[in-house]
Amino acid sequence: MQAKRARIACVALAALALASLFGLATGAQAKLTGEFTKFANCEYKNTEVKKCIYSVTESGEVVLGKKKVPIEKQVILQGGYGKAVEGFSKFYGATNGVTLSKAPQNVPGGLLGIVPEAESPALVKALIKFFLENKLTGLNSTLELAKPASEIRVGENHLAGEFDTALEMPVKVHLENPFLGKNCYVGSSTSPIVWKLTTGTTAPPAPNKAISGSAGSLEVLEEGAVARLTGTKLVDNAWSAPKATGCGGILAFLVNPIVNTQLGTITAGNNTAILNNTITIGSAFATKENDETHP
Amino acid sequence: MRTKQTAIGAALAALALLCALFATTASAAPAWKFEGKSLEGTETILGAATESSMTIPGLTTKCENFLYKIKIKNEGGTGKGEVTELPLYNCTTNTKNCVVTAIAAQKLPWAAHLATFSSSNYVVIEGVNVSIEYGNEACVFYETIVNVTGSAGGIVNNETETATFNATTLSASKTELKALSSKIEWNGVFPTEAFEWHREQAISVS
Repeated sequence: MQAKRARIACVALAALALASLFGLATGAQAKLTGEFTKFANCEYKNTEVKKCIYSVTESGEVVLGKKKVPIEKQVILQGGYGKAVEGFSKFYGATNGVTLSKAPQNVPGGLLGIVPEAESPALVKALIKFFLENKLTGLNSTLELAKPASEIRVGENHLAGEFDTALEMPVKVHLENPFLGKNCYVGSSTSPIVWKLTTGTTAPPAPNKAISGSAGSLEVLEEGAVARLTGTKLVDNAWSAPKATGCGGILAFLVNPIVNTQLGTITAGNNTAILNNTITIGSAFATKENDETHP
Repeated sequence: MRTKQTAIGAALAALALLCALFATTASAAPAWKFEGKSLEGTETILGAATESSMTIPGLTTKCENFLYKIKIKNEGGTGKGEVTELPLYNCTTNTKNCVVTAIAAQKLPWAAHLATFSSSNYVVIEGVNVSIEYGNEACVFYETIVNVTGSAGGIVNNETETATFNATTLSASKTELKALSSKIEWNGVFPTEAFEWHREQAISVS
């Protein structure tokens, strides 16, 4: 009899545990709808977060010294930001920890950096790609945040108004190839590359020349709660980068100089970032309301 | 001798052609008129838009009271003017989340002039600057001041004594209004009526 009671108690406890787990899981999961689904990883319940942002970089290029990397895979920046103070808002990272998605981009010419001329025959281009951009000799570069997401700054009025810095991001570039090991980076948390991206016009040091971005076209959605900017071009060509470090593992003392020679001069005026985006911004308050009305 | 005469003749013909062209251009410049006579001196016209709204795709802001006051004159045969007042009241949006907490014309006066495009007469307003503040935390523009800037051309209808602004008239007059760096639409029909020396006189542009 006692054993039976104990068994019932155990089953009841297990059921309760399962129910509460299920309940917790349901409660934690945002049931956002429409355009608000983009803000699932925004800290919209935090009253300090005023806007949620979901920015998709669809194309563009990053020029680091002699290396020009076209952006072929989407990169997503997501999170939220607070009220602007002196033109800039503090950033709140994505709740899932992926504020800036890691999308390895192929570096044309791979490790050796041999890039065929644009007018080269298709066969030459294909052969160079086959031999120099394979798993062994190919080179990928991945953009990563160099500091916590709270170090990102958003200039919302600058973004729409096409002046000053719209988005400031401390980043580092992860160079990936079997020979370079896992820790080959240009930029670090102590010495980050700081992009001051603008939709306006840059004023870089020579040899770079001024380039212009664009705020793109604005569309208001979700009864005024969400704004979508399409064709937004964020640019910066005045940034400097530190030398590559950590390349080649224990042979770093040999490999780092080779990588740095390949990169060439990477001081300010030799690098460019051009990011073509679709940016969706929403009211954090409206996102919270949307969540609460769809339990 | 004959060659010299021919050359002089050709030069005179060219000059005559230039004069004719100049005369055509000068007469093409539209002027403000009252009862068919060109305005001399200045006059103030004012009125209230029968309907007026500004649209960013997805967000239309409409004002029930859209008043205006323009000081007009003719200068060198062309109608000129300046918008001196533009009080805007009772403004709303077509969205659930955005309300208009403040709206005001900035940097007045705005220069205006008459111009002809594709044989229609237009009043072109330059230096337009309207600031709009949207309220309600659920609005994406909450605590953001949206400035509408640029120039706008409205087609003048002498029969109805109105100036109409819309996407077609802005495009025809090669003018553009922007808000948050995006092109916006302005729709409005403005009756024109003299307020000073030419009260109750028919106003026209030609």
